[in-house]
Amino acid sequence: MIFSVASYFVVAAIAPWLVRRLGRNAFLVLAALAVATTGWALTRATSVFDGRPVVESREWIPQQGVSLAFRCDALALLMVFLAAGVGVLVLVYCARYFAADEPGLGAFAGVLVAFAGAMIGLVTTDDLILLYVFWELTTVFSYLLIGHRSEHRGSRRAAMQALTMTTFGGLAMLVGLILLGQTAGTYLLSEILAAPPGGTLVTTAIVLILVGALAKAAIVPFGSWLPAAMAAPTPVSAYLHAAAMVKAGVYLVARLAPGFAELDPWRPIVLIAGCATLLLAGWRALREDDLKRVLAYGTVSQLGLLTAVTGAGNRDAALAGIAMLIAHALFKATLFLVVGVVDHAAGTRDLRRLSGLARTMPITCLAAVVAALSMAGLPPTVGFVAKEAVYEAFLHRGRTDTVVLGVLVAGSALTAAYSLRFVWGAFARKPGVPTTRCEPAGALLLGPALLLGAGCLALGLAAGALDHWISSYADLFPSTGSDYHLALWHGPGIALNLSAAAICVGVVLFLAREPVLRLQSATARIEPSRLYDALVRGVDRSALQLTGTTQRGSMPVYVGVILLSLIAIIAATALGNLPLPFPRSPRWSDSAAQLVVCLLVIGTTLIAAGTRGRLPAVLLVGVTGYGCATLFVLQGAPDLALTQGLVETVSVVVFLLVLRRLPRRFGDTTRPGRRVVHIVLGALTGAVLAGVAVSAFAARTRPPVSRAFAAAAEEAGGKEIVSVLLVDIRAWDTMGEIAVLAVAAIGVTSLIFVRRDRALPRLGDRAPDQPARGPRPVAAETLVPERRTVVFEMVARVVFPTVLVLSLYFLFSGHSTPGGGFAGGITAGLALLVRYLAGGRYELAEAAPLPAGRLLGAGLVIGAGTGLVGLIAGGSALRSTVIDGTLPPFGDVHIATSVFFDIGVYLLVVGLVQDVLSALGAELDRRIEQTRDQDAERTVIV
Amino acid sequence: MNHLVPLPVLLPLFGAGLKLAIGGRLPRGQRLISVGVLTAVLGVAIALLVAADRDGPVVARVAGWPAPTGIVLVADRLSALMLVVSCAVTLGVLVYSIGQGRADEDEATPLSVFHPTYLILVAGVANAFLAGDLFNLYVGFEVLLAASYVLLTVGGTAARVRAGAGYVVVGLLSSVVFLSAIAMVYAATGTVNLAQLAVRLPEVDPGVQLVLESMLLIGFGVKAAVFPLSAWLPDSYPTAPAPVTAVFAGLLTKVGVYAIIRVQTLLFPDGRLRELLLVVAAATMIIAILGAIVQSDLNRLLSFTLVSHIGYMVFGIALASAAGMAGTVFYAVHHITVQTSLFLVAGLIERRGGSTDLGRLGGLARMSPALAVLFFVPAMNLGGIPPLSGFLGKWLLLRAGAEIGSSAAYVLIGAAVATSLLTLYAMARVWGQVFGSSPDASGATAYSVAASLSGRDVVATSSALPRAMTLASGALVAVGVAYTVLAGPLVALTDRTGAELVGRSAYIEAVPLPGGFARGANR
Repeated sequence: MIFSVASYFVVAAIAPWLVRRLGRNAFLVLAALAVATTGWALTRATSVFDGRPVVESREWIPQQGVSLAFRCDALALLMVFLAAGVGVLVLVYCARYFAADEPGLGAFAGVLVAFAGAMIGLVTTDDLILLYVFWELTTVFSYLLIGHRSEHRGSRRAAMQALTMTTFGGLAMLVGLILLGQTAGTYLLSEILAAPPGGTLVTTAIVLILVGALAKAAIVPFGSWLPAAMAAPTPVSAYLHAAAMVKAGVYLVARLAPGFAELDPWRPIVLIAGCATLLLAGWRALREDDLKRVLAYGTVSQLGLLTAVTGAGNRDAALAGIAMLIAHALFKATLFLVVGVVDHAAGTRDLRRLSGLARTMPITCLAAVVAALSMAGLPPTVGFVAKEAVYEAFLHRGRTDTVVLGVLVAGSALTAAYSLRFVWGAFARKPGVPTTRCEPAGALLLGPALLLGAGCLALGLAAGALDHWISSYADLFPSTGSDYHLALWHGPGIALNLSAAAICVGVVLFLAREPVLRLQSATARIEPSRLYDALVRGVDRSALQLTGTTQRGSMPVYVGVILLSLIAIIAATALGNLPLPFPRSPRWSDSAAQLVVCLLVIGTTLIAAGTRGRLPAVLLVGVTGYGCATLFVLQGAPDLALTQGLVETVSVVVFLLVLRRLPRRFGDTTRPGRRVVHIVLGALTGAVLAGVAVSAFAARTRPPVSRAFAAAAEEAGGKEIVSVLLVDIRAWDTMGEIAVLAVAAIGVTSLIFVRRDRALPRLGDRAPDQPARGPRPVAAETLVPERRTVVFEMVARVVFPTVLVLSLYFLFSGHSTPGGGFAGGITAGLALLVRYLAGGRYELAEAAPLPAGRLLGAGLVIGAGTGLVGLIAGGSALRSTVIDGTLPPFGDVHIATSVFFDIGVYLLVVGLVQDVLSALGAELDRRIEQTRDQDAERTVIV
Repeated sequence: MNHLVPLPVLLPLFGAGLKLAIGGRLPRGQRLISVGVLTAVLGVAIALLVAADRDGPVVARVAGWPAPTGIVLVADRLSALMLVVSCAVTLGVLVYSIGQGRADEDEATPLSVFHPTYLILVAGVANAFLAGDLFNLYVGFEVLLAASYVLLTVGGTAARVRAGAGYVVVGLLSSVVFLSAIAMVYAATGTVNLAQLAVRLPEVDPGVQLVLESMLLIGFGVKAAVFPLSAWLPDSYPTAPAPVTAVFAGLLTKVGVYAIIRVQTLLFPDGRLRELLLVVAAATMIIAILGAIVQSDLNRLLSFTLVSHIGYMVFGIALASAAGMAGTVFYAVHHITVQTSLFLVAGLIERRGGSTDLGRLGGLARMSPALAVLFFVPAMNLGGIPPLSGFLGKWLLLRAGAEIGSSAAYVLIGAAVATSLLTLYAMARVWGQVFGSSPDASGATAYSVAASLSGRDVVATSSALPRAMTLASGALVAVGVAYTVLAGPLVALTDRTGAELVGRSAYIEAVPLPGGFARGANR
C-alpha cells in the first residue's frame, strides 16, 4: 500500500512533463495508474471481504509513535474501489473534456493524480497523524483544483472558501486527534477502536473530530463551500465533490462510529446536523437553474443523509449507510459527467436554455436517466436497494429514530423532486425554448458516464454481493438478532410504502414547480455563503482596526512601550517580593569628590535632556562622559579613565563634524503633553532600575569572580588588570567589539558615500579626493585663506609624529602600565584628527598613508588571526604566552604574545577614526563646498 | 573537538578582515572567500553537532583561562543545532545575493559593504549561539546588531535610512536593557558565567531572581519580537534588499528566541513567569497574524507572519517541559528555513513581477511555473499543511501543550490553531493574488481591505531569473522539505535537545568550575 500511495505522488511529479509531451492524451497514461490500483484492490478483495485486512507499516517518527501504518479492511477497500475506480473514469474523461490547448493543464493533471493518491492514503492509513496528513493534502489539492481557472475571480474565491472552511474543521480535528491519541496512548486507529478510551477528554476529542468530518462533508453549518466549489472544472466536481473528497468526512464518521457512537454528544450531533442538511440543501436544489448547482445542492443534501445514517451507530444503519455511500458515488459521478458532456455539447448548463436534448443526445440521456432513477431511489438500481435499507434501519426503533425516519422520507421526496427537475431540465423539450443545437460527444467523453450509469444498475442487481462486501464492516457493531441484508426485492412492507410515498410527493413537488419557486424566493433570505463572506469581512475589518492600534508606525511609541513593559513587569514581579534593604544610615558616597562628580553628571544629563539645541546637547553629553572618566579615576582605575576620556574626545569632535549638516535645533514637534509622558517614563525607568540595583547588590551571597583577576593578571605576566582582561582573559569579548568597530566604520562609509554618485562605496578605495602625491605643503593650501591658521598647521605637523610615538608607547606598554591597543589607537586617531582640523581634508589624506579599509581589514585579520594561530599552536584561541629574552640593542625584553592581538586592535581603531574623519569630515567638507560653489554660480547667473 | 568551537566566529571575522583589506578589487576573490568561509563554518558546525549529540556539550576555554575567570564557549545540542541551521541558511542567502549581484552588475552592487558585513553578522550570530558567558552573549548580540544596522541601510535610500533609524533606536534600547540586566545579575551573583550562574542564582533571594528574569526577558523579547515588543519589526525589515530581509527574518529573531530558551532553562528553571509567557505567546501569535492578513505588501505581510510564529516558539518555552522545549527547537529550525525561503522567493517575485505590492502582481503562475512551485511549497509549509515541517512543529507543540493539560495550555492550543488557520488564509490570499489572477484583471483585491489605492499599472516583467538566485531559493525550499523526510532523526534530536535543556546538568557539568565537576582542564 505504501508503494501504491507513493507511486501517485511520483507520477504526479512527472505528470506536467507527460502533458507537455503527449498533450491531453497524457490523462490516458495517468489513468493506467488508477487501473493498477483497482487491479490491486481486486486481488485483495476476497480475503479482505472475508475479514482479513491487509496491514503494512514502516517507521516515520518512532519517538512520537507515528508510523507509516496502513490497514486495508472492508470499509477501506470499498473506498479504494471508489477512489481508484471512479478515478480511472474521470481521468479518461479528462482526456477529452479539456481543450487540447487548455492553459495550465500539466499542473492540473499532476494535482489531480496527487489528489487521488492522498485520497487512497486517507482511507487506508491506520495512523491518526497520517490520517490528518492525507486529510489536509486532499484539502490543499482540492484548493488548487477548484482554483484551476485562477484568472476568474469566482474560482479563486471559491477555492479560498473551500480551503478556509475545511481547514478550520481540519484543525479542530487535529486537536481532537492529538487528544485522542494521547488519552489512548497510541496513534493507531485499529488499536484505539479495539479498546476505545473514555472520559471528558475523549468526548471533547470526538466532538472536535466530528467538526472536522462535518466540515469536510459540507454539512450544516459548513455547507456553503461545496456549491461555491462548482467553479471547478466538471471532472473535479465529479471526482472530488461527488465520489471522493466529500466522502472522506462520511468515511471518518463511519470509521469512528463502532468505537464512539455511544458517547453522549455523538448521536445528537450527527443526526441533527445530518437531517438539517438533508432538508435544507434538498429544498435549495429545487431552486437552482444551473444543472451543476442542482447537483451540488443535491450532493450536500445526500451527504447529510449519509452522515446521519452512518453515524446512527447500529449494524443495520451502518450497512445501509455504506450501501448508500457507494450508490451515491456512482449516480452522482455519472450525473456530473453528464453535465460536463451537455455543457461541452451545448455550451450551457442553464436548464432554462436547454431544450430537446433527449432527441439529440439519446445515449447521454439514457445514462442520466438510469443515474437519476438511482438517485430518486427507484428499482432496480442500487439507489433503491440502499434507500430501502436506510428506511428499514430506522424502523421499529425508539421515538428519536422514528422522527429521523420522517425526516429521511421527506428528504427522499425532495431528492425525487430534484432528480426529476434535473432530467427534465437537461433533456426535456420545453415549450417556448428553441431546441438546443449541440455537437456530438466522442466515445471517450461519453464512455465513463455510461459505465458509471451501468454500475448503478449492476450493483442494484448484485445487491447480494454488495451485502457481503459491506457486512464485515457492519458486523463491527453488535448484532440485533434479526440482521438486515441488502436485496433488490424484499417484498412489500413499510419500507416500500415509504419509498412509494416519497416518490409520489417528489413528483407532486416537481409538477408544482412554479408555486415551489415562489415559496423558494420567500425562504431565500439566508444565504450560507453570504454568512461566510460576512465572517471574512468581519475578521478583516477587526484585524485592520487592531493592527491600526498596535502598529502605530511611531518610534517614540515603540520605545515607550518597551520602557513601559520593563517598568510594568518589574513592578508586577517585584511588588512585595523584592527586598529593599535600606540601612538606617546609608552611605551615600565613598568620598566628597565622588558625590560632587555624580551630582555634576546628573545635572548635566538633565540639562542635556532639556536643551533644544543640538550643539549644547552634544557638549553636555560629552561632559557626562568625562564625569564618568573622573569617577573611574576616583575608583582607582586610571586605565579605564584614560580610554573613556579619549573615546569621549573623539566622539564629541565627530558629533560636531556631523552637526555641520544638521539643523541647529531639534525639530520641535512633540506636544507638551507627550513631553510630560516622556519625562515621567524616563524618571520611572531610572527609579525602578536604581531600586533593582540596590536590592541586587544586597542579594549577593558569594564573592565576585573579579577577586581572581589580580592573580590571573600576574600569571599572565602583566601588571595592568584592565589590559590583561582586555587582551588576554576576556580577549574574546574584545574581538567581538573590534568587529563592531569595523562594522561601524563600514556603516559610516556605506551611508555617507553611497549617495555621492550612486556608485557604492569601496572601503578599500583611497581616501576621498586624495590628490596625487605632490610636494608636501600643497595640501593645506587648498583651504580657503580665511580658514587657515598657519600656527595651528605647523603645530599639528610638529606634534603629529610625537603623538604617534606616544600611541605606540600606549600600545606596547599596555601590559604593565595604563594604555593598550585601544587607547593607543585612539591616540593615533586623535593625531589624525588634529591634522585634519588644522589642514582640511587634503592634509588628512597626506597624514594617512594607508586607506582606512586596509587598516580595518589588517586589524581584523591580525585579531582573528592570533585567535587562529593560538588554536593551532596552543590549543586554545587567543591564548597568550610570555616570551622573555634578550634582544641586543634593547636589552631584556618581556613580551606577552597577546601584544599581537593588541596590534590588531590598534590598527582597527586607527582605521575607524580615519574612516570616520574621511566620511563625516572630509566628505562633508566637499559637499559643503559643492553647495557653496553652486550657490555662488547661481548668484553669478542672477 | 574543543578546538573547533571558536572557529565559527574566528573564520568569518578573518574572512571579513581579508575582504576589507582587499577592498573593491578581485570581486571573484571576494565571493570565493565568503562562500569558502561559510562552507567551512557549516562543516565545523555539523562536526560540533555530531560531537555534542554523541558525547555531550563541547566546551572551549578561550585564551586558555578556566571558567569563571575566562570566557568559555559551549556547544551543546541546542547551540550546535542552531548553528548548523543558521550556517546552512546564511550560505544559501549568500549564494542568492551573489546571483543577484551578478545579475545587477551594471548597477554597482554594494559588494564590499555587503560581504564583509555579512560575514561579521554570521560571526555575531555564531558567537551568540556559542557564548557560555552572559556578557559574551551580549557581545555576540552587539556584533550581529551592529552588522544588521549596516545591512539594513545598504544602498542608503531614504526609506531604508528612515526604517534603519527606528531599528537602530529600538536595537540600542534593547541592548541597554540587556546590559543593565547583566549588571544586575553580576551585582547579585558576582559572576557572568552561565554555568556558574545556574549554580548561584538559586541561592539568590527569589524576589531578586524574578526581577532579573524579567529584565532579561524584556531585553531578549525585543530582539525576538515578542508582543508587545514587536511593533518595530514590520516597520523596519521590509525595506531592506531581499537577501538582507531574508537572513534577518530567518536568524535575528531566532537568536533572541535562543537566548530566551537558554536563560529560561539554564538560569530560571522554576518557570515562575510561565503564565506571563503563555499570555505573551498567545498575543504574539494572534495579533501579528491579524496584522498579516490586512497587509497589501508581500514583504510586510511576511514580516507579520514572522512575528506571529515567534509566538509558537514562546508557547513551547512557556510550557517549560522537555516536550515543549523540543517542540520549540523543532519549530525554530523549521521557521528559520521556511521564513528565509519565503523572503528569498519574495525577492524573486519582485524581480519577475516588478513589485511586492499584492495589488500590482498577478498571473505569475502562468508566467513562471517554477516560481509558483518555489512559493507554494514554503507558503503551505508556513501555513502548517502536513506533512511539511510547519505541521510537524505545530503538532509537537500542541502535543506538549496537551500533555501539560492546564486550562491556560488549552487556550494556547486554541490560539495556535487559530493562528495556523489565519496563516494559511494569508498565504492562500497571496497565492491567489500573485500567482492566480491575471495582472490586468480589475478589482482583484477582493479581500484586501488595506489595498493600496494606487492604480494598477501594467506589471513590469523583467527577463528570466538569475540561475544562482533560483537555485539558492530552491535549495532552501528543499531543505525545508527534507525536514519532513528526515523527521524521524530530526525529532529524535530535538527531543534529546529538549531533555538536555530541561535536565540542565549536562551543560553545568560540562563547564569545569572550581569545586565543580572539572573535565578536560588544560591550564
